[in-house]
Amino acid sequence: MAKPEIQTKQSFIIEEPYYESIADEIAVFSSAYRNRLPVLLKGPTGCGKTRFIEHMAWRLKRPLVTVACHDDLTTSDLVGRYLIKNGETVWIDGPLTSAVRNGSICYLDEIVEARKDTSVVIHSLCDNRRLLPIEKLGELLPAPAEFCLTISYNPGYQSVLKDLKQSTRQRFIALEFNYPNTNLERIIIEKETNCEINTACQLVKLGSMTRKLKGNGLEEGASTRLLINAAKLISDGILPVVATDTAVAQALTDDTEMLEAIHELSRSVF
Amino acid sequence: MRDATIQDFLNFNLIHKDLERYAQVDDVISEITALDREQQRLICDWSELIACSNRELAAYFFFMAPNASRHMDHQNFIAWIDLTITKFKKLGLDEAMVALKDFCKFSLSSIECYPSCQFDDVCRFLHYFVRGLGGREMRVISDQSTFTDTGTLFLPSSIDLFPFAELNYTLYKLTATHLWAQTRYGTWRYSVTKKLVENCLTEEKLAVFNRLECLRIDESVRRDFPGLYREFKALGDKDLAAREHWLQWRERAGILLEPGKTAEDSFFLIDDFMEFSLPPLKYYQGEMFVDKVYEVMRERIDREKTRFQSEWQTLRVHKDAAVGEEARQDPLEELIEVIKSDENKELSDLNIQITMEGAVSNISDSQQRLISSIFQDFDGIPEEYIKSIEISRSHQEEQSQIKSSNNSQDQDLNSHKLFKYHEWDFIQQRFRKDFCTLREFLIIPDDESFVHETLKKYGGLLKSIRKTFAGVLGETRLMRRQMDGDDIDLDAIIETYADAAHGLENREYIYTRYRNHNRNVAVMFMVDMSGSTLGWVNKAERESLVLLCEALEILGDRYAIFGFSGSGNNGCEVYRIKEFEQVYDQQVQRRISGIRPKSYTRMGTAIRHLGHLLNLTHARNKLLITLSDGRPEDCDNYKGRYGIEDTRHALMEMKQSGIHTFCITIDNQAQDYLPHMYGEANYTVIDEVQKLPQKVADIYRRLTT
Ligand SMILES: Nc1ncnc2c1ncn2[C@@H]1O[C@H](COP(=O)(O)OP(=O)(O)O)[C@@H](O)[C@H]1O
Ligand SMILES: [Mg+2]
Repeated sequence: MAKPEIQTKQSFIIEEPYYESIADEIAVFSSAYRNRLPVLLKGPTGCGKTRFIEHMAWRLKRPLVTVACHDDLTTSDLVGRYLIKNGETVWIDGPLTSAVRNGSICYLDEIVEARKDTSVVIHSLCDNRRLLPIEKLGELLPAPAEFCLTISYNPGYQSVLKDLKQSTRQRFIALEFNYPNTNLERIIIEKETNCEINTACQLVKLGSMTRKLKGNGLEEGASTRLLINAAKLISDGILPVVATDTAVAQALTDDTEMLEAIHELSRSVF
Repeated sequence: MRDATIQDFLNFNLIHKDLERYAQVDDVISEITALDREQQRLICDWSELIACSNRELAAYFFFMAPNASRHMDHQNFIAWIDLTITKFKKLGLDEAMVALKDFCKFSLSSIECYPSCQFDDVCRFLHYFVRGLGGREMRVISDQSTFTDTGTLFLPSSIDLFPFAELNYTLYKLTATHLWAQTRYGTWRYSVTKKLVENCLTEEKLAVFNRLECLRIDESVRRDFPGLYREFKALGDKDLAAREHWLQWRERAGILLEPGKTAEDSFFLIDDFMEFSLPPLKYYQGEMFVDKVYEVMRERIDREKTRFQSEWQTLRVHKDAAVGEEARQDPLEELIEVIKSDENKELSDLNIQITMEGAVSNISDSQQRLISSIFQDFDGIPEEYIKSIEISRSHQEEQSQIKSSNNSQDQDLNSHKLFKYHEWDFIQQRFRKDFCTLREFLIIPDDESFVHETLKKYGGLLKSIRKTFAGVLGETRLMRRQMDGDDIDLDAIIETYADAAHGLENREYIYTRYRNHNRNVAVMFMVDMSGSTLGWVNKAERESLVLLCEALEILGDRYAIFGFSGSGNNGCEVYRIKEFEQVYDQQVQRRISGIRPKSYTRMGTAIRHLGHLLNLTHARNKLLITLSDGRPEDCDNYKGRYGIEDTRHALMEMKQSGIHTFCITIDNQAQDYLPHMYGEANYTVIDEVQKLPQKVADIYRRLTT
C-alpha cells in the first residue's frame, strides 16, 4: 500500500506567515511554550489552526514538523523504524523523533484519525517527564526545552469513535478556535486574496448564512478557507455566483436542494 | 434616462464589452432612450439581473430588448424573458440566445406551458434558504392564504403566474423572502402589533399599512441583499401601470426609506395615505393577519421570557461559582448588558454580545438564537426580563414532602428489583441522597405481528438501511500490522526483517486483515414511554426500534433496549425490552410490540440506572441513546428548570464514567433545552414523526463510524 509521504525535514519558517489574532491565543501559546506545556488546538476545519501554528513557529523561531494523521498512522510512522541498506540495517527517525531531537515544534493534525496506540507515545511526552520512548532503540529520548507538541482536534464530529480520550486531552493546554468574527474574517479574506472590500463583505455574509444551516441540512458551514478560495476566483474575473457555487456550495454538499439554496443565497448577497 | 446614465449602467454591470459585439453601443443606447421611462427601467432591471448569471446573455438581451418591447405587451415581454431564463438554466447559453433572437415568433398564446411550480417541490429548498437568511428559525408550510404569523411562513400550494417554471420558482423564493423580511425587519415588533390590535384597524387601513411596510422592507432588503432586491424590482409588478403606481407611492413615502425607520413610522403614515388609490399588491406580497401574529407572538414571548431568565440565572451561577462567592441575590440587570454589534453596516446581522459585569460572556449558539429571537420582537431585551427570578425554596420542599409520604412502594417490593438513586437539586447545588427509587419491570409482550407489518411497510427503506450498514462494515479498510490476517503486510515484513537483522526481538504483527465485527460498541437505547407519547409517537418509536434491530444485527454491535417512565421520586420505572446478552428473537419482537405509553418522564433517574447497566458491560465505546418526545417532567416538582438540571447532571455523570450520550427527539421546542442538557453536538431534532424510523438508523450509523 502506498503511504503518504511524511515530512521529516526540519524547516524554519523564514517569512512571517500572515495571521490575524482572534483573542489572546498568541500570548497563551507563547506562555505554554515557555512553560513546556503541550497544546491542543480545537476547532472546525479551515478556521486557521494550521496557519496559527505556522505563525507561532515563525514567532518562536523554531522549525515546524507537521504530520497529517490518518487511520493507518502507526507508532513507527511517528517514531521511526529500521530499514535495510546494502545489507546493513539503518535506523531512520520518524518525524516525531526528529522533532524531539531538533527541538522543533511538532504539529499532529487531526489526531483522532490516528490509530489508538499512537497516543501512548505522546502521553509520556506530554507530562512533566517529557520523554519519548523509542522502543526499538531501547532509548528514552528526553525532549529539550525548545521542543513543543501541538495537536489539533475537531470537536464537531458526532462519531463516538472519533472522540479524543480524556486521558489524552487532559494533558494539554486547550485553545479553542472558531471562525473569526465578521469584521476580522473580512480583513483576512481581503489580505489573503487582495480582493475588493465589497467582495470580501459579501463572502463573509454568505459564510455566515451557510453556518446557520449547520445541523440543518449541512454538516458544517463554509470555512474561512472556502471563502478565501471563492475570493481568489472572483478576483480572477469569475462571476461571483459561479465562484461561490464551485468553491463553496459544491464543496459543502451534494444535496440538490441544498446546492440550490446556497446558490440562491449567494445570488441574494452579490 | 440620459445616455450617460445608461453608459454608466453598462459599465457598472460589465456588459459594455459584450454589447459591442452585436452593435454600436451608441445606437443601442439611443434606441433605449427612445422608449418611455418605465420600459427603460424594466429593461435595465432585467439586464442587471441576467448579468449576475451570465454577462454575454445580458448584453444580448439588452441589444434585443428595445425592439422586442415595441412588439410585445408587458405580459408577453416577461414571458419571453421567462422562457429565456428557463432555457439558460436547462439547456445552456446557446439555446437561451436563440430564444432571445426569436422574439418575433414568440407569443404567449401559442406556447405550450411548462407545469406550474409546486410547493412540495420547493419546500425543502425554501426551508434551507430561509434558514440561511438568518433571524428567527421559521417553518415553511403551504396554506390557502399567503402570510406569516412570525413563527411560520404560509405560502400558496402552487404558483403559476408565469408560463415557464423558472420565474414561478423565483417568485416562490421572493414571496418567502418578503414574509421572512417582515419578521426580520420589525413589521411585527411587539409594540407595533399591540397598536394594530388595540386600534382595530379597518381593512382599508391595514391594506395601506401593508403597502407602506412593503416599501420600507424592500428598502431594507436592498441594503442587505442587493441580489434579492434586483429580483423584487424586476418581477414584482403586474404591468407597467402598477410599476408606475408603486413608484409614486415610493416617492411620497420617501421618509420610510431612510435607514432606521421602523414599522411605527409606517403606522403613523397610514392616515396620510388613505386619500390615495391603492396600488395592487406586488406579486410577491402576502396578506396580513394581525390577530394570528398576536396570538403566536404572545405564546412565544411567554416561553422565551422564562427561558431567558433560566439561562441567565445559570450563567450567573456559573460565574459566581467560578469566582468562588456565595450565590448573590443582586438583580440580573446590574450584571448584564446586551450589545448588538452593528458597528459595521455592510455586515449588519443580528450578532449579539452579552456582557456581564463588564466582561464579554461566551454564549452558546442556542442562546444566541434565543436572544436574536427576542430582539426581533422587542428590538432589545425588555427590562422585566432581566429581573432576578425567585424560586421559592420552601414551596419546593413542601411538595417533595407530600410525595414521600405517599408511600405505595411496599406493595410489590419483592417481585421486582429495587434501586436507589440520588438526584441533583440545582437550587441547593447538592445531591438529594437516595431520593429516588426505581424498579425494573418486564414489558408485557404483545403479538409480534406488529413487527412483521413494520418490516413489510418499510421494505424499501429496510433494504437501503441494510445496504448502508453493510457498507459500514465494507468500508472499514484494510488493517495493517495484525497478529493474524488474510494477507501479508509488506511494510511490516520489511520492517520486521530489518529489526531481525539488527538482532531485535521478532514481533509478528505482519499481517493485514479486513476489519469487521471488531467495532467494540455497546449501545443502550432508552425509550420514552411517558403518557405524552400516546398515539403516533409511540408507534413511530416501535417502528424505529424494529428497523434499528435489523440494522444492528448486521453490524453485530451489542445493544440493549429499555423503556422508562414512572410517577414520583419513589415510583421510577424502567421496562426491560432487550438486555445486552439477549438475542434478538420473537420474545424481543413481542416486547417491542408491547411498548405502551405509561405516565411521566423522570429522566435523570432512568439515565443513572441504564448508564449503570451499560457500565457493567465491557466495550471500548459505550453509547447511551435516548429516544424521547419532550422535556423531563414528573408529577412532583420535577419540572422545568429542576428537571432539566437534574437530567443534565445525570448526563454529566455518564460522561465522566466514559459513556457517550446522544438524544433523538421529536419535540420541536427542544432547541430550548437540549443543547444545555446534551451539549451542542449531541442531539438531533426530528421535525416529523414519520421520519423517525429512517432517521434513527441514519443517526446511529453517523454516530458510530
Ligand atoms: N486568523 C487567521 N489569520 C489569517 N489567515 C487565516 C486565519 N484564519 C483562517 N485563515 C485562512 O484560512 C485558511 C485555512 O486555515 P487553516 O489554518 O488551513 O485551517 P485549519 O488548519 O484550521 O483547517 C488559511 O490558509 C488562511 O488563509
Ligand atoms: Mg489544517
